[in-house]
Parts: sequence; structure tokens; C-alpha cells
Amino acid sequence: MLRYGFRLHRWGILGFGLVSFLSATAQGAAYVKLAGTTPAEKAVFVKTMTALAFQLSYFLPLPRHLDTLSGYVLWRAWGTLPLVIIFWAIVAGSGAARADEDRLLVESWLASRLSRARLVAWRFATFGLAAFAMAALAGAGTLLGAAGIETIGLDRLGGQVLTLWLLTVACFGLVYLVSQVPGSKRGAQVAGTLLLLGLYLLQVAARTQPSLDNLAWISPFHWYEATDVLAVGGGLSSAGTALSAIAFVGSGVLAWLAFERRDLRGPLFRLPRPASRAGEGRASPLLGWPVARELYRLRWIVLWWAAGVAGMAFLMVGIAHGVVDALLALPGLRGLLTRAGTDPYRVYIGIYWFSIAQALLAGFAIHVVSGWAADDGEGVLSAELSLPRHRWSVMLERAATVLVGVVLLAVVGSVSTAIAAGQIGATLDSAGVLRATALLVPFALTFAAVGAVGSAWWPRAAVGVLGLLVFASYLDSGLGPVLGWPDWLLNLSVFQLYGTPLLSGIYWTGLWAMVAVVVVGFGAATLLMERRELSR
Amino acid sequence: MSSAITTEKLTKDYGSGRGLFDLDLEVQEGEVFGYLGPNGAGKSTTIRLLMGLIHPTRGRAEVFGLDCQRQAVEVKKQLGYVPGEHPDFGGLRGREVVAYLGAMAGGVDRAWVKSLCGRLKLDQSQRFREYSSGNKQKLLLVLAFMHKPRLLVLDEPTSGLDPLNQQEFYTMVREARDQGTTVFLSSHILSEVEHVCDRVGIIRAGKLVRVASLAELHDIRLHRVEIEFAGELPLERLRAADGVSDVTVEDHRVRCVVKGAFAPLLEALAGTQVVNLSSHEPTLEETFLEYYATTSMEPATC
Repeated sequence: MLRYGFRLHRWGILGFGLVSFLSATAQGAAYVKLAGTTPAEKAVFVKTMTALAFQLSYFLPLPRHLDTLSGYVLWRAWGTLPLVIIFWAIVAGSGAARADEDRLLVESWLASRLSRARLVAWRFATFGLAAFAMAALAGAGTLLGAAGIETIGLDRLGGQVLTLWLLTVACFGLVYLVSQVPGSKRGAQVAGTLLLLGLYLLQVAARTQPSLDNLAWISPFHWYEATDVLAVGGGLSSAGTALSAIAFVGSGVLAWLAFERRDLRGPLFRLPRPASRAGEGRASPLLGWPVARELYRLRWIVLWWAAGVAGMAFLMVGIAHGVVDALLALPGLRGLLTRAGTDPYRVYIGIYWFSIAQALLAGFAIHVVSGWAADDGEGVLSAELSLPRHRWSVMLERAATVLVGVVLLAVVGSVSTAIAAGQIGATLDSAGVLRATALLVPFALTFAAVGAVGSAWWPRAAVGVLGLLVFASYLDSGLGPVLGWPDWLLNLSVFQLYGTPLLSGIYWTGLWAMVAVVVVGFGAATLLMERRELSR
Repeated sequence: MSSAITTEKLTKDYGSGRGLFDLDLEVQEGEVFGYLGPNGAGKSTTIRLLMGLIHPTRGRAEVFGLDCQRQAVEVKKQLGYVPGEHPDFGGLRGREVVAYLGAMAGGVDRAWVKSLCGRLKLDQSQRFREYSSGNKQKLLLVLAFMHKPRLLVLDEPTSGLDPLNQQEFYTMVREARDQGTTVFLSSHILSEVEHVCDRVGIIRAGKLVRVASLAELHDIRLHRVEIEFAGELPLERLRAADGVSDVTVEDHRVRCVVKGAFAPLLEALAGTQVVNLSSHEPTLEETFLEYYATTSMEPATC
């Protein structure tokens, strides 16, 4: 039973374990090149990185002990892992709670005399093992990256691995718990995403707004960051550790109680239904039109992402005063932020908000691609192709649908940015915003095109391949400049191809590269779709 | 009469002996053809090849003279299809699924759809994921029939339907046939083909082993016979009689299986004191199983 449960998470262990291992190894290996070897070089490095860290506080915790390799790895590698964990917890938690019910697996397990309590305990235990494997790989990567440079005691490493493991299982538990409420897999994914992103953003805001500390303690990401035992002189937060453990166990108990109360494949609470209106009503006229019908199917996904993009735009621009004012106090960055008389808020928005917008639009593209893969696995594609339509038309409609969705999100993001910037008195030139917005479209379509190839070639692997592309792009753009990689290698990162259009105009090489990937990607996907076989 | 479906040496080889091999089949326009076989025999593979969803390893298939691979879109303009597994349309309501797929096929006659839903007692306002498996199957039937196609390709179409809806489905198939529609219906339930089919093809392990009319299929039926004797039991003669097998004895009762004509059995019983004789006609299922157990695997051609 345990072995089977472990098997259910094998791809998660492999994918997320690999990401954590490589991230820890790469950051450790890059440390000496970045920090230098003499005390003077290290002092400069610490000063520069501290300033940089403040800018990156929206996605990395504030660093401590940057004068040591372990402190740097804790910040750059272990600090980014929560984003990976959020993704895994949503997929695994909603999958264990709801997707396995849709696949009738839960029904067959319960029919084989497994009690609901034992089923919940089994899912938590097996994910706990999988999470431990991932955390251990992060630890192994850290040891490998530090080999020959710094000795990291196993007690310190063990403490950090424990903290990462507790964060992972707590996130899983919380998603599993909220997945009990809605009646569908998609509802569970949305509920889990909202919960974890909300808790994460709370901690992000608290990093630069000390007034939020009183509230941020409810976030497991706050508990995670409270521990820095990996770094020399750091410590293990006993309160954070205890709260994480309580969240894991407590969410398991509450999920079990909710699971006992609800029907299989049903919501936790049933709202009274209006009297039956069988046969009444008409389907939306949008379903009669190409592209519109696909957008209608994606309407909730598009709306949620649009709300997320708008919310993030207001949040990021809203905290600009605090962040920029702090940055201006640092002589090294004052020059950068006020170069050529530019409004420093514009620089901040140009660099940081549009970086976040890239990540959000890439996330949307991956979400849409996961829908294509699901259509394939769930037989919807076969149903469509049993009708008189060409296979190329399916791919064309997919490309057009994702294009419309991306344009919509880019416009929502930029309009929100402009409004929020106006509220804080920042001056944005409309041509620059338009440019940056327009470039988000080929950027997101690049991911969609790669996803289209994956979904036409091997649908089950499409999302995994895209995840690897995002991770590789992140590593490439993050480590490449530091390690002095050549331009052609840096340009393999999709993030690099976008450039900084609000500040420095269009990076034409990047734009043409993205357009080429989009054209070739969708073209190849169309050819693959023509050749492939539909097994269901 | 022209052919609705023609296959020549149609093969889909998945390796390790799995797949469909050298299928030569001809289904006439206007007939209801039953395609029978146990699970994994190759029924759904054949149908997916006809639908152009998978590609043959060799051979070819035509529907109304159109190549199922090269002219797949033209072929599908003639078709209504029920897949063997339910697609998952998630949160879309029944009427939304009809509108979604209906528009892709060029629009639907709403009155006709309403009439089909009424006959099958399908509530279109429910979400797909809330449908029972029977209701999902009903929706798939509506989707197949809603364009009044020339050819219906139905992969185990009564799966999950209750007996009343099964009867309604059989009526719908008969009505479609009466209007000139050809029906290709796969099943592993022989009683189903008894209701509606004109001819039957039996497939096993990827090979077509027999094609026959329903009447011909009845000719190979078995009979389970129970005979009660007052005196001595003629066991030797019974065991030696042509077509008699599986002879078992319990007190004064003898049970056996008779395949084909009864004459050899009656000859063996001559001169004995028979108190009671009952013959039970087995279901077509049992005939089918017996057929599989005893028939060679030489492929049939139709």
C-alpha cells in the first residue's frame, strides 16, 4: 500500500527533487565566482547582494549570513524552493483529494474495506515520504555544491531539510483540506492555489512591511523563513517547526472529518438547489463559434488569472514607495534608479513588475497547456476529432485561443499597473507600457508553443517539459550573467529574450527569437497532431 | 446494394500479438451489422481505425467509398459515433456539450435533439460530471444520432443503460435502419445483437473468425438436455452419439450438451424408459463462449 502510494508521487519526486537538487548544487558551485575569495571581495559581495536582495524580496526571503556559502545557498536556492513547493502541493493535494476521486480510484479503495480515516492517513504518509525524498535531494545538492569550499555539518543540514520537509507537507495538507470543500478537481485546484498564493503573498508583503508581522505568522512560509539553521550562526525556529507540524497533522485531521461528512465526488456543503428545470435554458451562443467556444470553456481560468494579474499589479506597484525609498538609500543603487533623470518608480515598475508579469503569463500558458493535455487524456479531443474537422484546425484554434487569453491578461495587467502607478504618483510613458505589454504576448506564446509540441507529442509529459523549460530559463538568466556565459547561451532563456522593454526599448533579437519559436512550435505541433494516434 | 464499410487487410499491429490483423470486411448500406468479441479482441481498434483516430499498420478502410485516413473529414461528415469510453466534459452542462460539439459538426436541429433527449429521458441542464454513467451514455447516444448520419458507428452503445433505455435504443436503431441508415455496432453482449442486427461478425484476438446472419448463428446453438430414466441408463450409447458431449450422471438423471441436430440423441435413447426430458436453450452468450472454445482460429472473410 505504501509502495503504491509512493508510486503515485514518483513523477513529483523525480521532477521537484531534480529541481531542488540542481538548484542547490548550481548556487553552491557559483558562490566562489560570485563572492571572490578575499575578505575585501566578500565584503563588496555582501553589500551588493544585500541591496539586490531587497529588490528581489517579492520572490526571495531577505538574506542572512551572505559572507558564507551556506548563507548564500540558503537565500538563493532554498529561498526559491517554496515557489516550487506551492506548485507541487497544489497538484498533489488536489490530485489526492479530488482527481483520484474523478478517476474512481478512491471509490475502489474504499470498496476494498479501507476506511476513510486510513485513506487520509495513507495519502498524508505517502506524500510525507515523497516530500522527504525531495527535501533530502535538496540537502544532497547543497552538500555537493559546497564540496571543497565549506564544510556543512549534518546537524545543520538536517535541520534545514526538516524545515523544508515540514513546509512541503504543511502546504500539501492545507491544499488537501481545502480541496474537500468544492465538488470538482478544478474547484480544488483553484481553492488550493488561492490559499497558498494568499499565504505566500502575505509573507512576501511582510518581508518589506514590518507592520504585517502580526498577521504573517499564520503563513507557513513565514515559519519556513524563520529557520536559517543551514547558515553559519543560524538557528532552528522551534515555534516555526512546531506550527508547521501542527498544520500538517491538523489539516489531516480536519480533512478526515470533512471527508467523513461529504459524499464521494460531492462538495462538502450542498447549497439548496432551485426546483428542477430539466430541459429548460439554452447553451451560451459563444459555444457556436471557433475560439469563443474554447474561451468559454476556459472562462473561469481566464477570470481567475486576470484577477490574479490585476491584484499582483496593484500589490507590486502599491509597495513601490517602501521598496524604492529603501533602495535609494543605498548609494550603489541610487545611480541605477535615477539614471538619466528617470523616475525611479518607473525603473522599479519596469524591472520588477514586468518580471512578475512574465512569470504570471508563463503560468497562465502552462495552465492552458495542462488543459490541452487533459482534453487528450479525458477523451474530449477524440470526441472533437470524431466530428468532421481537420486536425490542423484544432491546433489553429488552440493557438488563437491562447493568443486571445494572453492579450487579455497582458492588457489587464498593464491597465492595472497604469492605474496603480497613477495612484502613487509615478509617471509611466504610455508608449513604454504599451511596448512592454505587447512583448508579453510573444513571451507567453513561446511557452504555449513549446506546450503545444508537448501536448501533441506526449500529452502526459507536456506540463513537466514546460516546468523544466521555466526552471532552465530561470537558472540560465539567473546564473548565466554571473558566470559569464556567452550571449547565445543566455538567449536560450525565455526570460532573457523578453528584455526590459519599459526601460531600454525592444530587444529585437529576443523578439525575433520568440516569434520563431512560436511559429516553429505551433507548426511542429500541427505536424505532430496530424501523425499522432488517439488512444481514447 | 452498395457498401457502407469496406476494409482490406486492415491491420493495426501493437506488437506481442496485440491489435487487429488482416481484417477483410464489407458492411452493406442500410444493414445493421453487429461486431462481437470479448474484451481486448480488437473491436475498438477497428472502430478507431474507421474513425481515423489511429493509423493502420497496413491495409485500408473505406466508408462510402472514402478512404478513412486520407479523407477522414469527409468520412466523418457521414458518421455518428459513440466511443467505447466516456469523454470527460467536466463542468459543461449537457446542452452545452451538445452545442459545443454540434457547432463543430455544422449545427444541429434543436427540435430533433430535444426529441432524442425526451425519448432517452436525459436532462440536458445537468453538468456532465454530475451525470450518472447511464446518463453520460445517453448523452453520447444523442450526440451520435443528432445529425441523422448515414452511418452510425457505435462502440458498446448500451453500456450503463437500464433495460428500459436499452429497449428505447433498440427502437431508435430500428427506426434509423428503416430510414436507410447503416449501423455498425460493437458489443460483447450477444443478446444485444439479437435485438437489432441483420448480420454479425465475430472477432477474437484481433482476427475476424466468422461472419454470419443472425439465423446462421442460431443454427450453431447448443442445447442443454436433462433426461430422467426409469430403468437402465444408456450411457455408452449417449457418449458415442454425434453432437452429444459433457455427459454427467446423477442418480437416474443424465445431463448432456447437444450441438446441432437432435436425431443422434433420440437414436441413442431408443428402447430406454425415459420418464422426463427437458431441453434448455442456452443463451447466445453460452453459444458464443462454446464457439470460441471449439472453433479454429482461421480468419473469416466477408
